[in-house]
Amino acid sequence: MKNNSIKQFFNTLLILALVLVPAFSMTGCHGSQESAAFEIPESFDTTRDFEITFWAKNDTNKTQVAIYQNAIASFEALYPNVTVNLRLYTDYAKIYSDVITNISTGTTPNVCITYPDHIATYLTGRNTVVPLDGLSADERYGLCGSELRFDGPSEAEIVPEFLSECRLGGTLYALPYMRSTEALYINKTFVEALGYEVPDIPTWDYVFEVAEAAMAKNDDGTFAVNGQNVMIPFIYKSTDNMMIQYAEQAGSGYSTADGEILLFNDTTKDFLYEIAAHAKTRAFSTFKISSYPANFLNAGQSVFAVDSTAGATWMGTDAPLLDIPKDQLVSFETVVRPVPQLDPAHPRMISQGPSVCIFNKTDPQEVLASWLFAQFLLTDDVQIAYASTEGYVPVTRKAQSSASYRDYLSREGEDNATYYDVKIQASKLLLAHTSDTFTTPVFNGSASLRDAAGQLIENVTKSTRRNETVDEAYMTKLYADVTALYHLDSLGSSAVSASPDDLGPLPKTSVLLLSALGLAWVLIAAYWLSEKRRERAAKKNG
Amino acid sequence: MEKRNGKAWLYLLPALLFLGVFMVYPLVDVFVYSFEEGFNFASQTFSGVGLYNYSYVLRDPYFLAAVRNTFLLVIITVPLSTGIALLISLGLNSIQKLRDLFQTVFFLPYVTNTLAVGLVFMILFKKTAYSDGLVNVLLKAFGLTAVDFIDGPYWAKMFVLCFYTVWIVLPFKILILTSALASVKQDYYNAAKVDGTPRLRVFTKITLPMISPMLFYLIITGFIGAFKAYQDAVALFGVNLNAAGMNTIVGYVYDMLYGNSGGYPSFASAAAILLFAIVLTITVINLLVSKKHVHYD
Amino acid sequence: MNPNEIAASERKALTSARIRKTVTYVLLSLWAIVVLFPFYWMLLSSVKSYSSYNAEYVPKFIATNPTLANYAEAFTAVPLAKYFTNTIVFTILTTAVMVIVVVLSAYAFARLNFRGKNLLFTAFLSLMMIPNELVIITNFVTITNAGMRNTFWGLILPSVTSVFYIYLLKENFEQVPDELYQAAKIDGTSDLKYLFKVMIPICRPTIVTVVILKVIECWNSYVWPRLITDDPAYFLVSNGIQEIRENGFGRENIPAMMAAVVVISVPLIVLFLLFHKKIMEGVSRGGTKG
Repeated sequence: MKNNSIKQFFNTLLILALVLVPAFSMTGCHGSQESAAFEIPESFDTTRDFEITFWAKNDTNKTQVAIYQNAIASFEALYPNVTVNLRLYTDYAKIYSDVITNISTGTTPNVCITYPDHIATYLTGRNTVVPLDGLSADERYGLCGSELRFDGPSEAEIVPEFLSECRLGGTLYALPYMRSTEALYINKTFVEALGYEVPDIPTWDYVFEVAEAAMAKNDDGTFAVNGQNVMIPFIYKSTDNMMIQYAEQAGSGYSTADGEILLFNDTTKDFLYEIAAHAKTRAFSTFKISSYPANFLNAGQSVFAVDSTAGATWMGTDAPLLDIPKDQLVSFETVVRPVPQLDPAHPRMISQGPSVCIFNKTDPQEVLASWLFAQFLLTDDVQIAYASTEGYVPVTRKAQSSASYRDYLSREGEDNATYYDVKIQASKLLLAHTSDTFTTPVFNGSASLRDAAGQLIENVTKSTRRNETVDEAYMTKLYADVTALYHLDSLGSSAVSASPDDLGPLPKTSVLLLSALGLAWVLIAAYWLSEKRRERAAKKNG
Repeated sequence: MEKRNGKAWLYLLPALLFLGVFMVYPLVDVFVYSFEEGFNFASQTFSGVGLYNYSYVLRDPYFLAAVRNTFLLVIITVPLSTGIALLISLGLNSIQKLRDLFQTVFFLPYVTNTLAVGLVFMILFKKTAYSDGLVNVLLKAFGLTAVDFIDGPYWAKMFVLCFYTVWIVLPFKILILTSALASVKQDYYNAAKVDGTPRLRVFTKITLPMISPMLFYLIITGFIGAFKAYQDAVALFGVNLNAAGMNTIVGYVYDMLYGNSGGYPSFASAAAILLFAIVLTITVINLLVSKKHVHYD
Repeated sequence: MNPNEIAASERKALTSARIRKTVTYVLLSLWAIVVLFPFYWMLLSSVKSYSSYNAEYVPKFIATNPTLANYAEAFTAVPLAKYFTNTIVFTILTTAVMVIVVVLSAYAFARLNFRGKNLLFTAFLSLMMIPNELVIITNFVTITNAGMRNTFWGLILPSVTSVFYIYLLKENFEQVPDELYQAAKIDGTSDLKYLFKVMIPICRPTIVTVVILKVIECWNSYVWPRLITDDPAYFLVSNGIQEIRENGFGRENIPAMMAAVVVISVPLIVLFLLFHKKIMEGVSRGGTKG
């Protein structure tokens, strides 16, 4: 009897070892994957065929898809040995997470639409993103290079503000592709019905005041200004931008280039209190809570809708793109203004819009092919075509000052499709205010900080609507919660060294959990032992 | 029949291969990941080996919220659904007409896609700018105030999640219990009737012990299933569960992998190992309890 | 007790039994309504036009102007038909491979004898507790390294085995009496032949159960396909639905979203209604053997 159980015990150990040892050895492959830095080859090998993948973002807009496909076709006509595979995304956060997951498995795309925030994180892998300084300056294949088969822009011809946004730590890692900003789309008819006028540069006070005025109701419970049951006067699509632009306008601090977070300060808190006040009366809401500002604006259920200029084709009575049924449209006049400002004399607005980057591969020829395609996206035809689909602006001076683009801008209002007036007004807004735009510092984790900024406003609005009290205690808890949600204390220069003691005491729930688990196993072991003892006793007696 | 059959290993080979590659190896891998600190997905490097990941996860308020949510879900839905299933099965067993019809209807949720039906629940309970949602309309008809169940206070969200979970797990339990009840030998009941035993005693002394194996099976699998809840929460609240405060442990693991700023497989692994530990403990307890209390023929 | 009292107490018992029965029927019907109502609502919303749906401050219980436009939209706006075919292919292949693997291993555990059999079976059982999400991380890397992302085999292979089915089938195989096996051995039948000629036919109901359960599991599979496929040509119905909900017309257009939901729920429901007796028998048998 005894021999058998010992034998069984050793058998168990043997099997465990047989299974676990190979498993452990395989998991040893958690090491880093290095790839060599990119070197420009002597010449582009036209005898070999290349297949490159292009991950592009569009705004749920079929025309944009067509433009990408046309661009690809034209490029492939010029370079018959290169095939470009297009994959479309409508959400830039999805591109970001997909690229991250693919970096770890070495299956990144070749060319990818990206944002500087994202590149900062891609760069934590070694040699994943190709630095573009050398490539741009190359005589043969660089910007305006001699061997190019198309007429691309030179470095000077790219708008310098846009180009500098793509520099991280002094090195150029992406080419700007399109630029846009945020704009305030105003229902002028309603504003005037409320007895106000639309200024050139609206302020925050103005917007909040008019929004509160719009909350007046008739005797039967419908809103006075539109006679409907629904009215949300001020809706903001991207609360990240709302917070960031306010912080910039107030000069109160958002973050430094090293990743030190300055956002959680008193000015931010005061702004949040003000937002809470207007959320309480339901004069203010956000996209995440109420849904697309465009839908409310077009149905005559909003007065001030803030969205990107790249969303202009969805705004207004005659909007070419609609998400609501046609019979819900209300007739009104739409005007486009810069986002609400603190100081109308010095407007500040965010600069956004996709850029394009190239990923490193083992074959430098493949990277070169990708670079050629990336440059092709900056040619006039592609730039003007894409910029005309929404309130975008081409990133090259060449395209901006070209005859066909000037012609496009001048035909504002000719129809409600290509020359849709709201869309062109939005583009003109950015052109007029290019020097008033700014971007936020980029570092590994800046994307999370941006989300955190937006989350502050979302939480405050949600809590107010649920009739929770928003006071100092709430604010302190909010700051702590948001920091934890986005892991902000492990970013940039505020990064914690990997030591368990730095994190502070274990919270109560964890203590409870761990001790419950420990206790359970102690009890199980005790029970099992007592059962064994009883069995042995029974065997002895029996 | 003590023939040692080496051929058996050949039969087992496909299963061993699949399980080995897709279950055992990942388990060990995840275990190793959880001890590698500061793992960065993008660069595939880690800064050290130690317990930092566990430390971090155990202090992360979102993990703790997920633990609370999951435990609440388990504690509420498992007894409730088993109890309701028992009541319904008893009811079904006592009627003759329409029994088949009821059984068919009750089993319907089992064959549907939980993600799809969850959307229906979401629109029934959600308050939008246009409408309060059907459930709120009913509440108002009874004189109560409207509550936003999807975006509103915690108890409302928890209520919807529990309600939906119970709705989904009930079919299987009803079915198992009905057949378990049907298989109790009629002789026992006849003997009890002759003795004139009151109904409640018949239930506790005869029925319950006879179906206790099935009951325990349902409870054990119910616990394990409830701890793995994730899809149902996503169906109701969308993918941003952390922001909604309704994340579950599994959801936390998933979010950690595909969250912002580079993914955190090491945190995800630590959380996953913690979940495994919890499930293992509860299962062992359940097994020990069932050994003691289950009556076998 | 005198005859009158006996009759009275019997009558009382009868009335209380009748009351109990009525209450039972009422409660059962109540739950039946709770079960059926979401399906009704799903159908109802899918035939309401978009504008009338939005205009209903108090949701109506009947569609005043039913329309099929939402279904047209559901099929044209996204490749719903493709999601369907993908899911069907995925389900059939996964179930087929699973049946082979599970039958072979259950047979080995039930009928054949080998060293460490009990130990191995206990090890298998403990694997049942591993949640899917734990192994997802590594499986993702494994599949990607093998270059199988956005392929059917990448979807299928990790989804094949479940220890639960091996356990179910083993229990069922063990019910087959020893004598049959002895008799077959005397005739000189090989183990494999015995499996095919005797075991499988006898245990066919349980195998059918296992197939049905797996089909339902595959149809509802969400987390793994979502991770492994980012190419819409390989989406299954569940992550297709989620895609519609997040990025497609389902963001706003609830009736169209409901139409898509109805479309993907219908196949399994129809299958169920056709074979409900068999399915329920199978599942209960499989469950009770646990």
